Parts: sequence; structure tokens; C-alpha cells
Amino acid sequence: MTNIPSIAEAGAAIAAGRLSPVALTEACLARIDLHEKRVHSFIRLEHDRALVAARAAEAEIKAGRRRGDLHGIPFAFKDIYETAGIPTTAHSQLLIEHVPTRDATTVTKLAEAGIISFGKLATHEFAIGGPSFDLPFPPPCNPWSIAHFTGGSSSGTGAAVAAGFVLGGTGSDTGGSIRTPSAFCGLSGIKPTYGLVSRAGILPLSFTLDHAGPMAWTVEDCAILLQAMAGHDRADPASANLPIPDYRAELAGGIRDMSIGVIRHFYERDTTVTPEVGAAMEASISVLSRLGASVRDVTLPPLQDWQACCMIIMLAEAYAVHEPWLRTRFNDYGKCFRDRVAPGAFISSADYMAATRHRRELQEKLARVMTDVDLLILPSTPGPAPLTKDVGSYGLFEIPNFTMPFNVAGTPALSLCNGYSADGLPLSLQIVGRPFEDATVLRAGHAHENATPWKERRPQL
Amino acid sequence: MPTPKPRITREDFDALVRASGLTLSEEQKNELHAAYGYIEVMSARVRAGGSRSRSAEPAIIFNPRAT
Repeated sequence: MTNIPSIAEAGAAIAAGRLSPVALTEACLARIDLHEKRVHSFIRLEHDRALVAARAAEAEIKAGRRRGDLHGIPFAFKDIYETAGIPTTAHSQLLIEHVPTRDATTVTKLAEAGIISFGKLATHEFAIGGPSFDLPFPPPCNPWSIAHFTGGSSSGTGAAVAAGFVLGGTGSDTGGSIRTPSAFCGLSGIKPTYGLVSRAGILPLSFTLDHAGPMAWTVEDCAILLQAMAGHDRADPASANLPIPDYRAELAGGIRDMSIGVIRHFYERDTTVTPEVGAAMEASISVLSRLGASVRDVTLPPLQDWQACCMIIMLAEAYAVHEPWLRTRFNDYGKCFRDRVAPGAFISSADYMAATRHRRELQEKLARVMTDVDLLILPSTPGPAPLTKDVGSYGLFEIPNFTMPFNVAGTPALSLCNGYSADGLPLSLQIVGRPFEDATVLRAGHAHENATPWKERRPQL
Repeated sequence: MPTPKPRITREDFDALVRASGLTLSEEQKNELHAAYGYIEVMSARVRAGGSRSRSAEPAIIFNPRAT
């Protein structure tokens, strides 16, 4: 598959009159027609609405009213983002007939920026239960290898962007649900700082850990999307009221003289990674050093502490959200959701509070480390995508992952491709910054991406 | 991590299930009882071995000016 532009490329071509939003939309719909039956990324494809919107965008742009880089760009939403008049199912039987009466704040903001909505994308059930084969819709397949897992829970977004069905999409991230599918599908995806992007109108999993954010082919595209999504929202009690920088403009700064800490013990001592992930990390360290950053190892509390903190809070909060239905409609949920969320029923209030107190201790330790470094790096995942058939319900409980620490801390964390396995599956680097320094994270990711050839490959469907 | 064997007895776990209000089959109870071992391990970890000060504050965001 070739000739799939990034958002930045398509936006520039549309602005210059070299690309028509209608032609771009038709090309993406043609790819969907050809390949979606194998990828299963969409829960609801709004084929006709997309064409109508593309024609309207094209007319508006021709009339001199171009809104910006996202005007006329094919896009889709994880199906936990509420969309007025369009079903929002959370990939679950329980919400199969749920038609919201209003858009999520981020849906409104992206519509105002001019995206062409292609519809709603697959997810793990309520952003945690998957991959599952006992739900109303199948789990998506990884476009790099159909038998392999997309990662989750923003699984449809990972698959649809990698396949070139849309140029960007939304994800949500409670323990890694933007970064893991970005990693397994070869995308860039950022979990912004907690409070930067509104959660209003997004179905909750865990109130204090949920983050909304963009997923796209490049870091630059994530910067463009974050620009449209970020900002204060009175409808979200956790929303921060801070000025929003120009994320795309700040990409150009480079990373000369930045100080970067490597959390090596997470992936060499606390748990293990595949040799290919270890080699890709060393290569990334070399790239960042060559670009002028000083890189050294740093030490944080063990990965298992972060996992325990994240899991206890997530399960207790998710159970609280779902308790009424778990009591009355337990078997309407998929087995994977039940396996993962039902244990939350047995977490005591004392344990939940212990986890929130531990959370503050962990946050403070991370903040102390980050007084000496601008950024932290580590892998996003311990290996490339596993086979879907090998993914069980309890992996989250068994193996500490590299993404949960930054949900616990609320800090910005970006996943980007940093190589491929011998089998041709994407590998990934994670870059973490201080709270509300998302621009610094994106700048480092952009510098790494520009210095490496990894974005030149696309999956061959 | 190998699946940790739960320390809670099946009888005590059944009492927790009854208190929760969940209606589970025997198979579901068996599976959740086995998974409870993970909760015990993680709960012990966040309790920090009982070494935390009584006044240690949680990380909870609360804005008293919210309307």
C-alpha cells in the first residue's frame, strides 16, 4: 500500500490546491472497501456522511474559508467518544442501542477544525475487555499481520490508521490504551498530560486514570491533532485551565542540550524485553545522543509498584462505574471484561485509599527524578505484537507493563516506532515528559522520527 | 508472574461474592477466586508494608470551587 499521506502532507496539499478533500476521502473509502473485511477496524462506517462532509469541506476551502491543517482530513473516533445521533456502543451489547444526544467535547472541537468523520472505531469492550470474540463486533486485526494483536484498547484506531483507512483517530488511555496499539500498529500516539484534553462525553473507565488523546502516522500529525483537542473545558472537572502552546511550531526546536533519562531497570531488571526491543532501545539512545541530547540512566521505584497502584485504582473505579450492570446483566458483558473488572468488586476501600496514597508517593519520586532530566525514555511494550490467540484475560495482572506508570503520574507519554522485528512487526519507543510539557515530548519524538527511516514502511495488506 | 495462589479460602471468598451482590455461576466463582490472588499481591504492594505515615495524603484531585 503506497501513497497514503500523513495529515501534515495532506493538509499542505489541500491548502495548495493539489489535493481535493473529496478525492482523498474517496481514496480512503476505496481502501476500506478493499481491506476492511479482513481488518475489522470499524464498528460503524459513515460512508455517505463522509462524502457529504468532504464535498462541503471542499466547497468551503475553494471559497477561501480553509480552517486549518485538519480541514478535509479523513478521521474516525474510538467508539467510546459520544457522537450526537450516531450510536456509541463501547463495543458492547450493553450499549448496542445507545444513541447520544450530544457530542463529546473533543468530537465538537475536531469537527470545528474540519475533520471528515468516517464513523466509529472498534475498541476493547468499555476500553478494557478485549480482544474478545463474544461481543457484537469482532476484534480488529493488525494490518502488519492479520493473525497478530492490534493492542488495545484503542484497537480500531490502531488498525484503521495503520491501514490508511483514515489519517488519524482518537484513543483513550487508562493504562496504555493509546500507546500500546500505537506501538503494535506502528503509529505515533500521545497520552497527553492529565487535564490537558477534555474527557467530557467519553465513556469513563477510571476517572482518575483516563486520558483522551490522538493517534496518527507521525508525531507531527499528533501535534496537529493535539492542538485541536487540547484546552480547558468546564464540563470536565479535571480539566486544566492553562494556555495551550503551538505544538506544531515547537516541533522545530530540536533536542540539542536536552537531558534524557533512561529507565533501564524497568526493562532490564524489573521485567524483560525481547532482544530486538533491547537493540532498538540502544539504537534510539544513539540517535538521541547524536542529535545532541545527553542521555543517562535513572532509577525509579520498581515497575511492579506502579502496576499495582494503577491496577488497584483502575479496577476499583471501573467496578464502581459498572456495578449496577454487573449486578443485573453480568453475562451481557464479554468474558474478558468480566474477568478483568469483576475483581474490582473485592477491593476494599482501605486498599483503594492505600493505592491513592501510594500514587502520591510515586508521583513525587518521579517529579524528583525529573528535576534533573527533561525527558525519560523506555520501550512502549516488551516485544512486538503477540498473536491474538495468545492474549488472555489476565495479562494486565501478570506482567507489569511500561505504560501504566505514566497514567499513575499523569505525565505526557508518547509512543513512536523505533524499528521492526525480524518478522516485520513494529517496535516502539516511549518518551515521557514533565506535566504539561507535552510540547517537549513531541519535539523529541519528531526529532527521532526525522532521523530514522521507520515511517517509510507501511503494512502490505 | 506465575498465578499467585489466593490466601483467602473459598468459603471466605464466597462471602465476599454474596456481599457484592454479584450473581455468579460456580465456574465464574472458581475463576474469580483464582484471580483474587493477583488482587492480594497488588493490595499488599500498595500498602507499602505498613510503613506509611498516618498523615500521608492520597493523590485525589478535588476542587472546592467547582460548581
